[in-house]
Amino acid sequence: MTLWLMAGLLFTPLAWAVLTLLLDFSKGRVVTWLGILVQVLVSLGLWAAVASDGGFLYLLGGWQAPLGIELRVDGLAVTFVLLTALVAAACGWHASIYLDPGKPWHRYFWPLFWFLWAGLNAVWLGGDLFNLYVGLELISLAAVGLVALGGQADALRAAIRYLMAALLGSLAYLLGVALIYGQFGTLSLAGVTELINSGDVQSGLTFPLILMLLGLALKTALFPMHGWLPPAHGIAKSPVSALLSALVVKASFYIAARLWLDLGGDLGGYALAQLIGVLGSLAVIWGSWLAFRQAKLKQVVAYSSVAQIGYLFLLFPLTWGVTDAISQQAQQGITLQVVSHALAKAAMFLAAGNLIMSVGSNRVDALAGVSRFLPFSLFSFGLAGVSLMGLPPTGGFAAKWLLLQASLASGQWWWLGVLLAGGLLSAAYVFRVYRASFIEATDTDQFYHPSRSLEVIPMILALMSLGLGLVAEPVLSVMSLPFEGASQ
Amino acid sequence: MRRFFGVTVLAAVCLAFAGALMITVWHISGTQAPVDLPGLLVENLEASGVEHPITAVLLNFRSYDTLLEIGVLVIAGIAGISMAKTTSLEDPLLRTSDSLLYALQRWFVPLMLVLAGYLLWAGSDRPGGAFQAGAVLAASGVMMRLGGIPMEFLRPGVLLRLGLALGFSVFLLVAVASALAGDAFLAYPEAFNKPLILVIETVLTFSIAMVLLALFVSAPVNGAEEPEEGERG
Repeated sequence: MTLWLMAGLLFTPLAWAVLTLLLDFSKGRVVTWLGILVQVLVSLGLWAAVASDGGFLYLLGGWQAPLGIELRVDGLAVTFVLLTALVAAACGWHASIYLDPGKPWHRYFWPLFWFLWAGLNAVWLGGDLFNLYVGLELISLAAVGLVALGGQADALRAAIRYLMAALLGSLAYLLGVALIYGQFGTLSLAGVTELINSGDVQSGLTFPLILMLLGLALKTALFPMHGWLPPAHGIAKSPVSALLSALVVKASFYIAARLWLDLGGDLGGYALAQLIGVLGSLAVIWGSWLAFRQAKLKQVVAYSSVAQIGYLFLLFPLTWGVTDAISQQAQQGITLQVVSHALAKAAMFLAAGNLIMSVGSNRVDALAGVSRFLPFSLFSFGLAGVSLMGLPPTGGFAAKWLLLQASLASGQWWWLGVLLAGGLLSAAYVFRVYRASFIEATDTDQFYHPSRSLEVIPMILALMSLGLGLVAEPVLSVMSLPFEGASQ
Repeated sequence: MRRFFGVTVLAAVCLAFAGALMITVWHISGTQAPVDLPGLLVENLEASGVEHPITAVLLNFRSYDTLLEIGVLVIAGIAGISMAKTTSLEDPLLRTSDSLLYALQRWFVPLMLVLAGYLLWAGSDRPGGAFQAGAVLAASGVMMRLGGIPMEFLRPGVLLRLGLALGFSVFLLVAVASALAGDAFLAYPEAFNKPLILVIETVLTFSIAMVLLALFVSAPVNGAEEPEEGERG
């Protein structure tokens, strides 16, 4: 059964990418709906299978590592597979209504969308350093193509900048992988970890780890390497921005986290962990402040991503040199933060797209009066904002609560200030949008009404992010299932 | 002064990077890798269906990587043609009527096609294969285009998209067929190793050439623009 699920998971996005490439936008849309259904069912099935029977290794082509490529299907991986299915389904559904079928270049949206999905699944399941690189490339190029769709000068400029940052990051990662391969003669992450744990760690291997983390941090837009993110996420079409902020930046972070948890204990150090934590904290403060200052609505949301990504990097100091219990707590907190930010940020971008469509301008101060005409979208925006602020009972609250406990238990009280200040600052930029929308405009009454389903989709995502705090327990229990590594 | 400062910092960073890299490489070259992957490869070469280790790695042992890499190429092709908004990717202005080029082309194009075929076949037991053959094929396409030979198939219509996707689709079909037959995704049945790899290599050559050629001929050309959301266009 799991074999079928795995084949379905790997095959559907790639096959649908080819199918939709041959069709035009409207036919591609119908085919995509079917594909989304298949993909969501397969992801749910795999999640349920792992939840009941535990994780396993999947051998591609029947060749074992180190000769072949192994996929590591564990609780964390299937959690992210399921998250991707939910968010991508929502964004695909939104895009199928939101994008104008009359424009000839929109037909290329679907193949890029499906390739992006395939790349994300490849990264969540990847257990091989080079295969992870290929997955990253698939994601980056598809994302750049989606940003550039339409080829207007500003979009092209943002896309080229994004491409350069992504390529530089990939190359740094690849150089690190090459050095690791030169040292150990294997590309399997599990194999490398085993060799390091078996004893003779040579000094001088910290450099490859730093290179890989640096490249991945650039791709995740960690402060001060975040300059490429706001233009790219701001100028893309809203469903694309939602995909980029919710999922794409998480892929490179996921690899960095896996590397750190497997290799960081031996190859990393206290100073490196603290440095990454400080950069993350600066991202939280600086990103939130810039979000507060932006004049364009989508730039507010994009800078808010820079800030929220900052929290993720607290994983590094909170898991280095601490007891297993604290490390586990920090990992759970970060996973919850990834999931809740993905849901909330997708909801926020989709709602922002609806608001912009309705008022016909992308500026925050143009929202005056929209609260009476589009309360539903504005409400979704606010609910997502509540999760970003970290108020109970949202997923964001549960995540920050776990991080807070981990900080106190490990004696690193200085992260507390970041967690609190970040929450307050995000409240400031969310309320700024609200303030603008509640001003009663005197003359303009020309609002366009987006269709009902466009408004429902961000609401569903926002409610999921809100409810995540209530169901955190079952989600976390699957995520931290012990991995036995039986191969199938 | 500020500029001088900037250059100094940049140089220092570059030097530090090069130094750290050299120390690491020096260190690595002094130690024996604990896993002998090349040895393992030679032991299993028999089962792979081809005699050349690189082809065996690319199309059998690590075929999943290659499948996804082809996907990356297809994405690049899609992104390229999505920006070209002309109905035909051929621009009459770019044609030359150079008689020397025209004469040379009559000699070179057939030769290059033969060379591409040779490189493809050579992949089974010596360096060569789909990527090299595809590059040569694309180069001959570039030459044909510069010489003004009409290439109607390069319209951004269904033919071009079929060409882009052909290699990837066949590879994917083989992968799925093996999964349906009861083995893992991408596990070729033992008896069909060689013919399957040959078929995949051939269609890949064609599609790789199409992607490269499409990227060469599709430059963003003209007018119709997509305004940013909320901007009047």
